[in-house]
Amino acid sequence: MSTRYSRQTLFPPIGKEGQEKISSKHVLIIGAGALGSGNAEVMTRAGVGKLTIIDRDYVEASNLQRQQLYTEQDVADKLPKAAAAEKRLRTINSDVEIVALIGDATPEKLAELAEGVDLILDSTDNFETRMAINDIAQKYKIPWIYGACVASFGMSFTVIPGVTPCLNCLLKTVPIQGLTCDTGGIIGPAVQMAIAHQTAEALKILVEDWEAVRASFVSFDLWRNQYTSMKMGRAKDPGCLSCGEHPEYPYLSAENMTKTTVLCGRDTVQIRPPHSEGVDLSDMAARLKALGYEVKGNPYLLSAEMDENRFVLFQDGRALIHGTKDLAQAKSIYNRLLG
Amino acid sequence: MNKVLFFAHLRDEAGVESAEIEAAGKTVAQLKEIVAETYKLGKLDSAMAAINEEFAPNEEVIQEGDVIAFIPPVSGG
Ligand SMILES: [Zn+2]
Repeated sequence: MSTRYSRQTLFPPIGKEGQEKISSKHVLIIGAGALGSGNAEVMTRAGVGKLTIIDRDYVEASNLQRQQLYTEQDVADKLPKAAAAEKRLRTINSDVEIVALIGDATPEKLAELAEGVDLILDSTDNFETRMAINDIAQKYKIPWIYGACVASFGMSFTVIPGVTPCLNCLLKTVPIQGLTCDTGGIIGPAVQMAIAHQTAEALKILVEDWEAVRASFVSFDLWRNQYTSMKMGRAKDPGCLSCGEHPEYPYLSAENMTKTTVLCGRDTVQIRPPHSEGVDLSDMAARLKALGYEVKGNPYLLSAEMDENRFVLFQDGRALIHGTKDLAQAKSIYNRLLG
Repeated sequence: MNKVLFFAHLRDEAGVESAEIEAAGKTVAQLKEIVAETYKLGKLDSAMAAINEEFAPNEEVIQEGDVIAFIPPVSGG
């Protein structure tokens, strides 16, 4: 198919030369949910040389409204998202080498996956993984693009090691209890807008048009018609432990990671986030009730139940997820509710 | 006088898109405390602040007439 990329190569900033660069590059996508499926589809259609995608979840009916790679059949088959994504992406473009991995993007796994990667596209649903991506990207000097969305809003920022500030410069800590798509809802256009921002930056980086890369932090609300660009010139922190003069890559070390433990004989997984700022239990109870959970509680904890899902959340952010021994599944439930 | 803008879910929680607050001479961190108190916002600690559309750290001192925006980082994906 010699005309396959003609409309993209006709675009002067890409051209034939740019297309050759795109087809020689390896893109790593972390997460195959809404952002991951969209980002993967755009990269596959654009003709990247190799695409690696990793996800720990499986396809559910509530994903179909916005996760563009998946079908009703995938839900019926309870396919892992990585497997379903791989199947669909191969039918879209057989030129692209697709590597799909079912599992948790732990810091160890990220370090292993980073080898030979030209660009990382963040498509996760939690800041713990993003901070680990941020450290890996600094350590191995790989550009990465933050993207996130919830309700009708979203945001994106491009991190280029040695050039821009990093996510740790901006946030300093892992924010807990942000809104998630499971508690605040999400509309398809907010997903698509975040994907558009991430993939446009991705193409610029793949063709090495560094001048064109957006230096600002962009955020938008499609329902309230807000669009804002925050200049980041002064955001770089020389003392940053991820990108500063003496980096320690704090989010690759065990003490900054969520501890998950199977509680013996109880069919329960305990999840303990690091350095938690604490959780507003009454706020969380109201959100869970709105989702249909039956919620009971006291000032120290709340317990929530819906169908086969049952969990207890403590004020310090620790949670017991009942009815499972699967660490990845428990962590996924936790992140979907608490971000 | 200073204009303070709320983005994303902060806007829903504050119930207004913007507010007029006397903030000159205060740091971004101090303004966050005042705003959280006034509008009963629980999560301003982790919100990013921009002064006149430029990222501002917590220690930055606000000048008369500056426009301050609070942008909460979002984790969904
Ligand atoms: Zn940094």
